[in-house]
Amino acid sequence: MSEMSKMRNIGISAHIDSGKTTLSERILYYCNRIHQIHEVRGKDGVGATMDSMELERERGITIASAATHVTWKGYDINVIDTPGHVDFTIEVERSLRVLDGAIMVLCSVAGVQSQSITVDRQMKRYRVPRIAFVNKCDRTGANPYRVKNQLIEKLGLNAVLLQIPIGLEDRLEGVVDLVGMKALYFDGPKGDVVRQEAIPEELLDEALQKREELLDSVSMLSDELMEAMLEENVTEELLRSAIRKATISLQMVPVMMGSAYRNKGIQSLLDGVAAYLPDPTEVTNTALDLDKDEAPVILQSNPDMPQVILGFKLEDGQYGQLTYIRIYQGKLKKGDELINTRSKKKFKVGRLVRMHSSSMEDISEAGCGDIAALFGIECASGDTFCHPSLNYSLTSMYIPKPVISLAIVPADKKSSDNMGKALNRFSKEDPTFNSFVDSESNQTIIQGMGELHLEVYVERMRREYKAEVTTGRPEVAYREAVSQRAEFNYTHKKQTGGSGQYARVAGYIEPIEEGPEAKDYEFVDQIKGGTIPNEFIPSCDKGFQTAIKKGSQLGFPVVGIRCAINDGAFHPVDSSDQAFQTAALGAFREAYEQAKPIILEPIMKVSVSSPAEFQGNIFGSINQRRGIIVSSTEDSNGCVVEAEVPLSEMFGYSTVLRSLTQGKAEFTMELAKYGKVPASIGEELKKAYQEKRKKEQGR
Amino acid sequence: MEIQELNALSPLRAFDQSLNGGLGKGNLGVLISRHGIGKTACLVHLSTDKLFRNEHVIHVSFSGNVEHVINWYKEVFRQISEGRSLADAASVYNNLLANRVVMNFSQENVPVEKVLSSLETLIRQGSFEADAVMFDGYKLTVASEDDVRKIKQFALDMRLEVWFSVSPVRPDVVFDDNGVPNTIFKYKDLIDVLIGLKYNESMDKVIMTLVKNHSKTDPSPMRVSLDPKTMLISE
Repeated sequence: MSEMSKMRNIGISAHIDSGKTTLSERILYYCNRIHQIHEVRGKDGVGATMDSMELERERGITIASAATHVTWKGYDINVIDTPGHVDFTIEVERSLRVLDGAIMVLCSVAGVQSQSITVDRQMKRYRVPRIAFVNKCDRTGANPYRVKNQLIEKLGLNAVLLQIPIGLEDRLEGVVDLVGMKALYFDGPKGDVVRQEAIPEELLDEALQKREELLDSVSMLSDELMEAMLEENVTEELLRSAIRKATISLQMVPVMMGSAYRNKGIQSLLDGVAAYLPDPTEVTNTALDLDKDEAPVILQSNPDMPQVILGFKLEDGQYGQLTYIRIYQGKLKKGDELINTRSKKKFKVGRLVRMHSSSMEDISEAGCGDIAALFGIECASGDTFCHPSLNYSLTSMYIPKPVISLAIVPADKKSSDNMGKALNRFSKEDPTFNSFVDSESNQTIIQGMGELHLEVYVERMRREYKAEVTTGRPEVAYREAVSQRAEFNYTHKKQTGGSGQYARVAGYIEPIEEGPEAKDYEFVDQIKGGTIPNEFIPSCDKGFQTAIKKGSQLGFPVVGIRCAINDGAFHPVDSSDQAFQTAALGAFREAYEQAKPIILEPIMKVSVSSPAEFQGNIFGSINQRRGIIVSSTEDSNGCVVEAEVPLSEMFGYSTVLRSLTQGKAEFTMELAKYGKVPASIGEELKKAYQEKRKKEQGR
Repeated sequence: MEIQELNALSPLRAFDQSLNGGLGKGNLGVLISRHGIGKTACLVHLSTDKLFRNEHVIHVSFSGNVEHVINWYKEVFRQISEGRSLADAASVYNNLLANRVVMNFSQENVPVEKVLSSLETLIRQGSFEADAVMFDGYKLTVASEDDVRKIKQFALDMRLEVWFSVSPVRPDVVFDDNGVPNTIFKYKDLIDVLIGLKYNESMDKVIMTLVKNHSKTDPSPMRVSLDPKTMLISE
């Protein structure tokens, strides 16, 4: 176990195709963990995730594993995998939670792309310090300066160059380090030998000028450096420490560069990780004390305190079931007892391991701040494990609701068993993935964040679980809502011998005004004079909550609704909790039809990037899909069209887009909001729903 | 307040009145000032007013940051809707968005043909029937006369209003009393409406002067001015 100051937990985030996989491999290689560099080549945007998974499986290296441990010049670096596609944002967000710093990989030609913006937003939310690495400087059209400017303009980051390239495009030879003022070349067939030289004559002026800019930017954030500059006594060490402080406090983003493919600039990037990204003690982490009404507690990076540990990822790999953990407080030894604060189950730590790129190492102890994995723990991802004396939960993460569902049917009995196992595993691993059996159709339904998200799981069922399944048409997760206020006055009465049931509720339902903090459901109690006794008020609330689970139009949940009661009646003997629940349910159904119910559908924020000549085709394709074009940005590399399009219209878009643009465009999408379905389409949906119900009832 | 009432009470009615009913389709209008006076806000207010009245607008920017433009619209909308207590503001805003497209060109010195061809693509292939195009920060004072003529022709062909917000970039530009730089006058014949913006310290207002109003060419002060706090056009 190493000192905490030499520990780094980092992630590598990137847009698809900016070379993340290649960079990860180079990092593993230079850290002497894999002995041969594998190449990843040739893939088109959307399919990339699947392709690389396939490749990784065939190669048997575990870049896809949640965390890989490497050492670099005495530093212990855990490289945490962050998936690239937005359909897997929950995974990205969960890994952001456990990392202390990140390398943001950007393509030197394409620069800041739509996905970089999404990832940037996530990094800002979790306050992750980062280094930008401008990759692919060997490509035609490479321009790291432009990328740096985009980081400033598009992402609002204080991006500062720490390096400048020596040659560009096919003449890329190395980089000039502006901190140490020397030229770095990467010799040997795999760039293993780093050769330091004086800065070449022709670059000296530029290097001096850029160093001046670097000093200016950093000294704005460091009084110490400012003083040293005035005294003309800036040491390399002082400058490094000022950059480190500014980076960790999120005031600046150092920009480094190279080409992973050509083996240039990777070792200096690793030096940068060690020099500028924080160790676990430099990041503040908070947990919620479940015994104190979720009061926040700041965790101490102290190995002698009771443990607080997050299980951030489950993996059912070649080694069996693994739970990846990050230790926030205390240290963990084999045989320690922990409690899962969600399930309240205690367990003893059995096998404790550390994952390397191609092997696994049994360890007896993991230190504070470290990342390791446990075997055979019953848990879901995102669970917190504590010392039995504590009852903390790490901050609940923002989990988006699924927007799409798919019916799946197993081919035979064996597949059916395996499918069950697979679904159980997937929903534990990924909180945005759900599965359930629809009580009306008796079909197994899976739900997730997009078409690709579900496709990947269906594919994994086939491969990893040998479960052959056929899938239905993807269905959109609609919502229902009311558009105006409606009153109700409903009496529930039942006299069938024995004790009867009696309850009357009166009040209204109405839409909650739209807004960023609008709730999905609100219950308002305006009862005066005890016309409904206090003990039955929660029963009414419960009744409404049952009612809104399934609206009468399409059977989807009703959202954005306020249910208020202002009058009622009870019977001293016949009124009960159940009677008021039933009355509320009946009252809701009575009022719902009068409240002009509407159907809402998920609207996706779609971002398409392509060469400029296809702009018209993209506009047309969005227009055909009931989409709204929000913006279109053109620069010398092509255009990016941002639009809002209903999810129901986006099925199969990747295929359409490919044929419209000769495969030269790519797109990403994520949920933007829920929007009203046009009346004509709403009517069709309702008709289809009624027919489906009739069929099911007829069965 | 309902949206119809808001439109009726808008200071932009007085603005339109000064222009004898508005700029009019096929015409070019220019808001011009020194840098940092608030012409972008002014342009966004003009544009938002059109959106409020159910017109379709394309906002053309050259900044490289779409988010920045969108935030201007959000802010102007927030000021107007809060100032007038607009009913159901969030859904009104969502409806406005359907009628606005931001078109951004982050390329240095993008040729005017390229801009116009992208606009035409959006209008035709994207079936976006624009009523107005707002050029935010277009370097009109250094454009060639031919370029301006092309934009004018485009406005006529497409039947839409074109507004520019312009701040001269060259340091040697001379501004007159109305805040209008001398470099713009060479296009005076091509421009239908020219409005100069100038900050008046004693009144703490940005004064708007109608330098050219269709056929009228004698400068006259407008009834509306720009409030430097809200950056909105007000009476």
